[in-house]
Amino acid sequence: MSQEYFLEVRGLKKYFEADRASLFSREPRFVHAVDDVSFNLNRGEVIALVGESGCGKSTLSLLLMGLEDPTAGSIMFDGRDITHLNDHERKSLRRKIQMVFQDPYESLNPTQTIEEIINEPLLVHGIAKDKKERSGRVIKAMEDAGLKPAEVYLNRFPHELSGGQRQRVVIAAALVLEPEILLADEPVSMLDVSIRAEIINLLAELRITRQIAVIFITHDLGSVGFFADRVAVMYLGRIVEIGAVLEILESPQHPYTKALLSVIPVPNPRLRHERIILQGETPNPIDLPTGCRFHPRCPLAMDACTSNDPPFITLSKTHQAACLLLK
Amino acid sequence: MKLTPTPKNTSTAKLSVFWSSLRRNPMGLVGLAMLAFIVTVAILAPLIAPYDPKSTSGITSSDIYNPPSAAHLFGTDDAGKDVLSSFILGSRISLIVGFFAAFISIVIGGVVGIVAGYYGGRVENILMRVTDIMLVIPDLPLMVVIIALTKPSLFNIIFVIGIFGWTTTARVVRSQTLAVKSRKFVMRARAIGAGNMHIIRHHVLPLVLPLLVVQAVLTVSAAILNESTLSFLGLGDPTSPSWGQMLNFAFGRGAMSTGAWWVLVVPGFGIVWVVLSLTLFGQGLEQVLNPRLNTHHLMPGKPTVQNGRVDLDQEKGALLEIQHLSIHYINEDKTAARAVEDISFTLNKGELIGLVGESGCGKTTLMLSLLRLLPAAGQIVNGKVFFNGKDLTALSEEELNTVRWKEISIVFQGAMNALNPVRTVGDQIAEAITKHVPAMPHDKLQERVTELLDLVGIAADHKNHYPHQYSGGMRQRAMIAMALACDPQVIIADEPTTALDVMIQAQILELLDSLRKKLGLAIIFVTHDLGVVAEICDKVLVMYGGVTAEYADVDTIYNEARHPYTQELLKAFPDLTKPKKKLSSIPGYPPRLDALPAGCRFAPRCPIAFERCRIEQPSLHAVGAEHFASCHLVEAVQ
Repeated sequence: MSQEYFLEVRGLKKYFEADRASLFSREPRFVHAVDDVSFNLNRGEVIALVGESGCGKSTLSLLLMGLEDPTAGSIMFDGRDITHLNDHERKSLRRKIQMVFQDPYESLNPTQTIEEIINEPLLVHGIAKDKKERSGRVIKAMEDAGLKPAEVYLNRFPHELSGGQRQRVVIAAALVLEPEILLADEPVSMLDVSIRAEIINLLAELRITRQIAVIFITHDLGSVGFFADRVAVMYLGRIVEIGAVLEILESPQHPYTKALLSVIPVPNPRLRHERIILQGETPNPIDLPTGCRFHPRCPLAMDACTSNDPPFITLSKTHQAACLLLK
Repeated sequence: MKLTPTPKNTSTAKLSVFWSSLRRNPMGLVGLAMLAFIVTVAILAPLIAPYDPKSTSGITSSDIYNPPSAAHLFGTDDAGKDVLSSFILGSRISLIVGFFAAFISIVIGGVVGIVAGYYGGRVENILMRVTDIMLVIPDLPLMVVIIALTKPSLFNIIFVIGIFGWTTTARVVRSQTLAVKSRKFVMRARAIGAGNMHIIRHHVLPLVLPLLVVQAVLTVSAAILNESTLSFLGLGDPTSPSWGQMLNFAFGRGAMSTGAWWVLVVPGFGIVWVVLSLTLFGQGLEQVLNPRLNTHHLMPGKPTVQNGRVDLDQEKGALLEIQHLSIHYINEDKTAARAVEDISFTLNKGELIGLVGESGCGKTTLMLSLLRLLPAAGQIVNGKVFFNGKDLTALSEEELNTVRWKEISIVFQGAMNALNPVRTVGDQIAEAITKHVPAMPHDKLQERVTELLDLVGIAADHKNHYPHQYSGGMRQRAMIAMALACDPQVIIADEPTTALDVMIQAQILELLDSLRKKLGLAIIFVTHDLGVVAEICDKVLVMYGGVTAEYADVDTIYNEARHPYTQELLKAFPDLTKPKKKLSSIPGYPPRLDALPAGCRFAPRCPIAFERCRIEQPSLHAVGAEHFASCHLVEAVQ
C-alpha cells in the first residue's frame, strides 16, 4: 500500500460456529457473518455501509469496536493493528472509536440522569479528575450535540426526553471522549421522519467541526446522499460495490445496488417508477450459494454466475463492483 | 417538548416520586403503618413494658395462668409473668432475627443472582445448580439438625436462617440481571470501555435494586416465620425469649390443658401482624416500583359515546365512514388527553387510504377505536363509525364481535410480538379461522390455511414452522394471512413495514397492493412514512397532534400540499434526484397529548405561524374537491 490510511480494514472475516450438520459429524458449520471485507477510511471522511439485515453490517461494526474478535484479517488504525489488543490497550482505543446506537430508547439507562450518562465515559477512562473540568467537558459535548442550553437537560431522566433528544444524548456521550471515529449504527431509523434530518445534519456538522470520521451503517440508501462521501454496499457478509456517493447513486453497477436503489420509496406518486423487487430474502449465511453469492436472487444471473465468484472490477479510481457482467 | 431548567437534587427527587406513588397505594400504606407500629414497640420495649419479664420478684403461685385482667392486660403465663411484657420484649428478638437473617439472605441471593446472570456460562451453571440443590433440600429439618448440633444462640439462629433463605432471591435476581444485561445501554457501556465491575455497579445494580428491596421485605417475613418455627420446636435461645419461644413454653407447660388461650393467642397474633404487614408492604412496594403491573393494555373500555352535535347519515356507497371521531384518554387525576379530535374520512371498496403521522399523533388510537379495542382510559367522546351503514360505536360488545376480524381485521405492528412463539404459524392461522367458524372440518381447515399462506406468498411446507423459524418479512406475511382468515372487507395495517428492510418493505407493499386488487380489499395503511404511502395509496390523511392536518387524494398531497406540516414533512425526505441537497428538518418535537398548545397544534414548529395560530385552533377547511386542510392561512386564501 502506497498510501497510509487512517483506518484500513483488510480481509476481515468473522465466522460464528453454528450447529453441526448432525450429531455425529465432525465438522462444525459456520455462519459467515463477515466474509472477506476490505475498505479504508480517511480522517474526517464519511463512509456509509449499506445492506439488508443479515448482510453482516452489524457484526462488522462490533468487529470495528473491538466487541468481537475477528476470525481473520486485520484492522489497521493509525498504523497499528487493533484486532489483537490486550484489555488495557483496547480500553484506550475505545476513546478514539465511539459508537452511536440505533435505538435511543433502549441505549440509555433509565435510572441515570443525562449528566450521569454523559459523565460516565469520563469516569470510566479516568479523564479529567477535577470535577469542574469534567462538567465543562460534559457541557461542551452536550452543546456540540445540540442540547442547548445544557443546564436544562442535566438533571433530566431519559424518559423525559423525546426520541431525537435522546439520540443527541447518545451522541454527546460519544463526543465527550473526543473520538476520532464515530460508528453510527442506523442512528435515525427509530426516529420520526421530521427529525431524522436534524440528526444527520448534526453528524455532518460534527465531521466538519471536529474532524471526526464517520462510519454510517444503514439499510436505507436514500439517506446517504447528503451525508456520505463514499458508499459500500454489502450483501451476505461481503462488499459487492463501493464507490463515491454520486457514483453509487447515479450510476450503480451491481444488480443488487440497482435493486436497492429502485425500491427506495419516492414521496411523489407522479414519480412512481418501476421497482426491481427481489424475491425471497437474503439466504442464510451458513450454506453460502456457490459462485456469486447474489446469483439466486439476481434478475440478471447467467450460467457462469453459479460457479464463478466474481472478482472486484475497478470502474474508476474510487468505484469498484463485483459482478461478472462488468468487464 | 419544552423543558424548563429545574436544578434539583436527583436522589431526593427520586425519593419524592417514590413517596408520592406509595401514598396512592393503600395496601402498601397499611402494611407500612403496621410495620412502623411494631418496630416502634420493639424499639421502646423496655420503656413501655409494664413489668420486667426477667424479674421474678413478687410473683406467687396464685399468679400462674391468670386470665386477662386490669393488672395483666393479656393475663399471665406458667411462671406468673405478665404476657404483655413478654410479648413486647419478644418483638425485639423476632424482628432482630428477621431483619439480620434476611440481610444475609439478600446479600447472598443478590450476589449469586447477579454474578450468575451477568457472567453466564459455566459460572452460571454451577451457581444455579447449587441454588437448585438448596431448593430441593428440605430446609426446616436441616435447620433443626444444624441448630441442635450447634449451640442454640441468637447468632446461630440468624446465621442458619440467613443461609437457607436466599434461593428465591437468587433466582429472581438472576432473571432480572439476564434481562438487563441484554439491553442496549449495557452494550453502549461496553463500547465506552467500561469494565464488568463498572457495568454491574452502575447499570445492573440500579435496575435490580427495586426487585431486591421487594425481595428483602418478603424475606424478612419468611425469616420471622422460620424463627418462630425453630423457637416453637425448642431451638430458640433460652436467654432471649421470642414469640416462638413463648408459644413453645406455653405448649410445653400445659397452657392448652388449663385453657389459658391468651398465652397462645398473643404471640401468635404478633407473628401474624408482622408477617401480614411485611407482605402488604412488599406487595405495595412491588406495585410502586414496577408500575407496569398496573396497566392493562388492551382492556376494552366502555363505549361512552356522547353524540352531541353529530347527527349525520352515512354517505351513500362508502364502505367505511368515520365521522367527527374524537377520543380522549381520561385518567383519574390528570386532565383528559385529547388523543384524537374530530377526524373524518371515508373508505370505499378496494380503496387504500394512508394514515400518516409521527409517533404520538393519535393514529394508533384512532385505529384501535374503530373496533373499540382501546385501553380502558381511552374513550370515544364524540363521532360515529359507519360500516356498511351500521354505526359501530352504537353496537354492543357482542354485536361488535361479529364485525371484528370477520369484517374488519388488523395487521398489528411488530409481527414478532403479535405471534405466539410456542405454536406453529399454521396453528395460529387455523385458530383465527375456528374462532369465527368453529364447525369447520379439519381437512377443510388445513386446506384453508394452506390457501391463505399461498395468498401471502409463503410455501405450504412452512405451515408447521414456529415463528422464530420465520424471517421478519415472512412473519409479517403470516400476520397478513391471519388478518385475511375470515375474508374481511377492511384491513387495518398498523405500521406493517416499519421495522423491515427496504427490500422486504417493497415486497410487503407489493403484496398488499396485489391483495387489494385480487380480493377487493379496502385497506387503511397506518404509517409515519409519507414516502411509503406515495407508492400505493389512493388518498392520504395526514394527522398532527391528534387532528387532521390535511386530507386529500395522493397526487394532491404530494404536489399541491397546503398545510405547512405536510409541506415541511415532504421537504424532510431525501430527494434521490438531488442527492447532495442538504436535508431540511422540522425544528422542535411533536406536542404531547396531555400538554397541547392553545392554538394550532403545529404552531410551535410552524415556520410561517402568526399571532392567530397561537390563540385559535384552525378548523378544517375545504380547499378543493375532496381536499381539506386545517390552517388559518388556507382560510385566508379562500
